[in-house]
This record gives sequence, structure tokens and C-alpha cells, in this order.
Amino acid sequence: MSPNPDTTTAGDNGGNFDPQQAAALLDQATLKARRTFTPLTPLLFTFRAVGLLVVFGGFWLSVRAQHPYTGHLSSAAIAVAVVFVFVNIVWTIMAIALASTGVSGPAQRKWGAWTAIMAVAWIVGYAVAAPLYHAGASHPVWGLYPASAPLLIIGLVGATAGAAFRYWPLATVLLAIAVVAAAAGLGGPANSWLITGIGLCVVYLGIATFTALTQRRSVVRL
Amino acid sequence: MTGAELDPLIHVPTRLRIVSTLAALPDRDSLSFTRLQEMLGLTPGNLIIQLRKLEDADYISSTKTRNGSVQQTNVALTGQGRAALSAYTQALRDLLGDL
Repeated sequence: MSPNPDTTTAGDNGGNFDPQQAAALLDQATLKARRTFTPLTPLLFTFRAVGLLVVFGGFWLSVRAQHPYTGHLSSAAIAVAVVFVFVNIVWTIMAIALASTGVSGPAQRKWGAWTAIMAVAWIVGYAVAAPLYHAGASHPVWGLYPASAPLLIIGLVGATAGAAFRYWPLATVLLAIAVVAAAAGLGGPANSWLITGIGLCVVYLGIATFTALTQRRSVVRL
Repeated sequence: MTGAELDPLIHVPTRLRIVSTLAALPDRDSLSFTRLQEMLGLTPGNLIIQLRKLEDADYISSTKTRNGSVQQTNVALTGQGRAALSAYTQALRDLLGDL
């Protein structure tokens, strides 16, 4: 039996369907559809917020006592980061696949282009770190660079692309990430990790709250 | 007192759910018949009947695509459908405000 019985056959003209019931159903259906079609959920953003705080906090803990500063991260901190990145990537890919199943059209193609741009920004952001390392950059530069510069590049590219695509919430988030990365650059090699972790945590908690509020907003009651 | 200002084509539970689900998609994006059916939990026959009524009023458009031997039907809310849902929502607000 269908989980949602057909209610149209008895009264196709909406006979006993009063406005209050209609308003409740309209809100309920819209809320469900918004949740279904939104790949980046408040839960995923919250996971990223907590995960980034743990990862960058772990990096900070492993370098804060280095005198002189070497920038070498502990194996445990790197392992936590690898697990976080893996889970985050798998979760994000699955969420996008689930949300876009059966959906097609110009907005989907636009989202695909956006995803490609962001993937390139991530690769470029971190790929330029390798030549810097091999060029023999000093430890403070090398230590500061991975915490700040890649995120600055990703944030600025993403904010620009987001604005061009009119993805205003995403553009705002990526601009905030760029601001956090720039602020981290002022914190010194060790503290840049902590500033990045706290800053990104706040940004992602903010977008999680914004997404949850947007999804729950009533269509009928303004 | 109720129903008079509410679009009778939308003011039916199943069709209201169809229209509000499609309205959650970005403008001009479409949803496969199978996914829509799965989301609403309707039988294929019932969904077809309701979609036909909405399509006759130009509230939705449907396109058929063929991928190898599989044919897929996609449905999308038209501009007219979006405007009708918007007017329906406003009518609901007015009615509820009067209650």
C-alpha cells in the first residue's frame, strides 16, 4: 500500500480541504523537497565545523612547543586530518549524488561548472605548496603557508566564482574563509593553525545555522 | 467561504504536493517521473492522472528522453505554474489572516 494514500479521488475539487490544512501541507511538502534537493545539509556543515576545529587544533598542538619552529606535524594529527578529509569527501559526493538524482536542467549544469572550478581551486591552492617546499623555503614560511595561503586562494577564487554564479550564501562563506585565512597569516607559524581552526569552525557553524533556518522557513507565514 | 479564491487545480492535496515539490527546484530544472513518484509515494497511475491535469493547464511541462532502451520522462514547473502557486500561496495567506 502506498505510504501516502491518494486523497484526490474522493474530492477532486478539494472539497473538505480547508485553508489551514492546505497551508500545513504546502509547508510540509516544501520543507521535505528543500531538504531532499539540498546536498549540503546543516549536519554536513556542522561535521565540517567540528572536524576542522579538531584537525587544525591537532596541528596547532603538535607544533606549538617547537623551538625553533620546524613545522613538522605529528603523525597522529596527520592521521586525524586524513580521516576527516576522506569522510568529508565521501559524505559530500554521496550527498550531492543523492540530492541530484533524477534532477536535470540548467541549474544542475551550472552547479557542475561551479564544482569543477572549486576542484581546480583546491588542487592549485595546495599544489603550489610543493614547489615552495622543494625550493627550500624557510621553516616559518613553510609552516605558515599550508595553514593560510591555500585557503586564501580557495576562498578568493570561490567567492569570485560564487558571485559570478549568483550563489550568494556560498560566495559569502568562501569570502569569510578567505578572511579567516588572511587573519591566520598574521598569527605566526604555530598560531596560524589555531586561528584557522577556530575561524573555519565559526564560519561553518554559521552556514549550518543559516541553512537550517532557510530550510525551515514557512512558505505561507512570512 | 474558503475555496473561492484558491485555484481549484492546485487546491487538491496530491496536486499541491506535486506543485510545491517541483517549485523547490531551481527555475527551469526538471525532475524525473520516477524520482517524483518516489518522493510523493504515489502509484504511477495516480501520478500520471494528476500530472496530466496540471499539464493541461500549462502549470507543468513534461519531456521524454531516451537513453538506449530506457525512456525517461521529466517534469518541470512552468513559469505559469510558478505564478499560479505564488498566487495560491498569497490567497492562503489572505484567508488565514482573515480567520
